[in-house]
Amino acid sequence: MSATLPRRIVKETQRLISEPVPGISATPYEDNFRYFNVVIEGPESSPYQQGIFKLELFLPADYPMAPPKVRFLTKMYHPNIDKLGRICLDILKDKWSPALQIRTVLLSIQALLSCPNPEDPLNNQVAELWKADEDRAIANAKEWTRLYATK
Amino acid sequence: MWPGRAMSSPNRTAAAPPASGSQQDEIIVPRNFKLLEELDQAEKGQDPTISLGLQNQEDIFLVAWNGSIFGPPGTTFEGRLFELKIECGDRYPNEPPFVRFVSRVNLPCVDQSTGVVNSSKLHILSHWDRHFTMERVLNELRREMMTQGSRRLPQPPEGSRF
Repeated sequence: MSATLPRRIVKETQRLISEPVPGISATPYEDNFRYFNVVIEGPESSPYQQGIFKLELFLPADYPMAPPKVRFLTKMYHPNIDKLGRICLDILKDKWSPALQIRTVLLSIQALLSCPNPEDPLNNQVAELWKADEDRAIANAKEWTRLYATK
Repeated sequence: MWPGRAMSSPNRTAAAPPASGSQQDEIIVPRNFKLLEELDQAEKGQDPTISLGLQNQEDIFLVAWNGSIFGPPGTTFEGRLFELKIECGDRYPNEPPFVRFVSRVNLPCVDQSTGVVNSSKLHILSHWDRHFTMERVLNELRREMMTQGSRRLPQPPEGSRF
């Protein structure tokens, strides 16, 4: 594998493993150290509680000048996550800063599960229900968590 | 290097031809992220002569695609829309996609009983490189329709299918 993996990426990876974030794991694939297998636990007192969500993350050539690419592999019922697992989150786009890290990105994604934002939707159908009938939307999110994200 | 590291990635790059010289430190874009880029590009729809999209909007592993090619003007393909199915397996893009015409077409690289594009008869597929894209394959097929040997080939009735 690449002998010239940037020091920044090596440091971040070592720290992810030596001081893991509670409820989040990120492990590089052995044949591509820029590609991570990620698991996020659903935050407590959210509809995603007790869910185990799989994601994938890739550090592109221009990281950290450009944000990581990350998406859910587990089916999600969430107004800011589309059917292909793509995530609508400002720090993954125009609000990215090289001062952010893999760790902060994953924490922000976990926080997004606690605070869905139907005013800035990526999945319009889910967002409409979230605004019209929040109880039913939350029930759907719980149901999908049970169906697709349990251990 | 570090403890508890994960298994090999779903599309192992280790199986790719050995990297040589300057390519050794090349950054490998994983299969799924490459396909997401291809989808983004296709959704922008900048090339009016071809189109590309997922068959199923919930296909999380981005395997099955629809493609289409607008027959080039000044050829017997002119004025027709040729539909194709494209499949990107686990080993894409280390291996080329599987490409098949749905619309009947008379082209030397297309099997006349199945519509399958014979990868040994289409240069981009026989000389595949992981940086190539489905869009490029569609473009190359469209160029095939414009070659001296193909541009006047009689075509099956419009709307017929394999």
